[in-house]
Amino acid sequence: MNVAATPATPIRSNPEARPREPVIVAKNLTVGYKLHRERKLLTALRDITITINKGEFVCLLGPSGCGKSTFINAISGIVLPWEGSMEVDGKPVKGPGPDRAMVFQDYALMPWRTVESNIRMPFEFQDLGLSNKEIDERIDRYLELVDLKGFEKSYPYELSGGMRQRVGIARALATEPKILLADEPFAAIDAMTREAMQSELEQFVSKTGQTVVFITHSIDEAIILGDRIAVISRRPGRIKEVLDVNLPRPRFSGDVKSLPEYSELRERIWDLVKDEARSGAHGED
Amino acid sequence: MSDSEHHGPSHAGEFSDADRIKDVKISLGTIWDQYGTWAVTVLNLTIFFIIWEIFARSGAVNPVFFPTASGMFQTLFEGLTSRAPPDAIISGQIIDHLLYTLRTLTIGVFLACLIGIPGGLLMGGNRYIERILSPYVWGLASLPRIALVPLFILFMGFTVEMQVTIVTLAAMFPIMINAWAGVKTTEKSLIAAAKVFGANKRQIYSNVVLPYTLPFIVAGVQQGIGRGMVGVIIAEIFGGSNGLGFLIVRSADTFNSELMYAVLLLLVIISLSFIKITRMIEAYIAPWRQQVIM
Repeated sequence: MNVAATPATPIRSNPEARPREPVIVAKNLTVGYKLHRERKLLTALRDITITINKGEFVCLLGPSGCGKSTFINAISGIVLPWEGSMEVDGKPVKGPGPDRAMVFQDYALMPWRTVESNIRMPFEFQDLGLSNKEIDERIDRYLELVDLKGFEKSYPYELSGGMRQRVGIARALATEPKILLADEPFAAIDAMTREAMQSELEQFVSKTGQTVVFITHSIDEAIILGDRIAVISRRPGRIKEVLDVNLPRPRFSGDVKSLPEYSELRERIWDLVKDEARSGAHGED
Repeated sequence: MSDSEHHGPSHAGEFSDADRIKDVKISLGTIWDQYGTWAVTVLNLTIFFIIWEIFARSGAVNPVFFPTASGMFQTLFEGLTSRAPPDAIISGQIIDHLLYTLRTLTIGVFLACLIGIPGGLLMGGNRYIERILSPYVWGLASLPRIALVPLFILFMGFTVEMQVTIVTLAAMFPIMINAWAGVKTTEKSLIAAAKVFGANKRQIYSNVVLPYTLPFIVAGVQQGIGRGMVGVIIAEIFGGSNGLGFLIVRSADTFNSELMYAVLLLLVIISLSFIKITRMIEAYIAPWRQQVIM
């Protein structure tokens, strides 16, 4: 890639300039889990209020165990609010729906299904009003998009981690959801592959204009991908601060990291998370 | 990833395409990869039986206890290929007793599957059924089933029904417990994924829990057959006038060591065949688990 060339037309304009149309609205959201085999309830997130707008790429940044996953599970509808509300498109979330799809950290591919069959799975579970031919074409298109043509009949265990996550991404994208949820999708993937996949994801969603909620514990990943970064504190998770990322896109041209704004932002975020990271490092997890 | 060369692509660069899949040319090396273990096993066993033969022929051990390998094979071969002469001391040849034992075993294991698989699935799927049944399952599973043989003889006499009951009881619990464990250990993230992509309860059960549990059930049946085998032989040793267990007792009583060793060898062969067959079924229905098991 030509490092000297500055991106002339950013694919996305900066978040301030875009008309704001709320898609995901959490108000005083408190959620948690029932502890297994104990009569106890564990609060994972407390009093979260955030509005995520259409077409926005929001990164949730925080140490592991801070409740980030719980937040996107609440968006997806796998967990329901204890207190407060979670609304998607103006309607309270009552369960999963085809307007939302998720990419999982451990890929969560069915090991007994081929690559093609895994991508087909969401179409089997829910009726999206597509004909069989349309579904086939869809799957074909997304297989191509994630560069897995020729591996349709392979099983996940035959693929590398990066390739498996491409299947996971294709599965999430193929239903063309309005909202893409990603739970540390690249955390288990080696650094080189990760950068390539981050760049591809950025390019893809900037074309489709999908709203993305992306969980990460990497500050760099959050800055490179996010329009906004919500820094979350741990136990129970609360939003510490939401920061705008006003860096030009695409951000993979290498020189973004050398911009003074980048290091400024990085330092600010580090200040916010370092206490959390410390308490995590001292075995509180 | 030791199996990678047989399964095509595996650890790979990320910018991948169909060109990376290539056929492997057949060479001496690939033939050795495929059949080498077999060749070594055959050679190994041949040497073992030759040493046995030499040792038995040297007269170091009384042939009443320790027959020659050739004598054993001959008895086995004749016993499997011919029917008994009418005036034989032991009625029936090995083949008759073998078929009798296999029939008891098959019926017993079949009944064990019929009870064990749905039982295990229900226990895994429903908390209340689990709570009600688990003390009985664990209790009976931990009781050595041999201890029940006299009881069943008391109830049913020296009958096929008694033997089938023992096989069923012996085989049922590994099958049930495995199915149960499979349901309970189904990966949470797979269930979460199915939920996110719109699966209802029934779809989660049929598309995630059952396929995940299937290899557990096969492993359970494999263990069940092994236990059932023990059960049937014990039941036949205890009483009755048919089956390989009976044949072992009679051959010992008549000092026919060749016959006894032939039956023991036959039992080894049967057990290994069952294990091999269930492994193949397992590999076929759950290739992703192969790397863990093999």
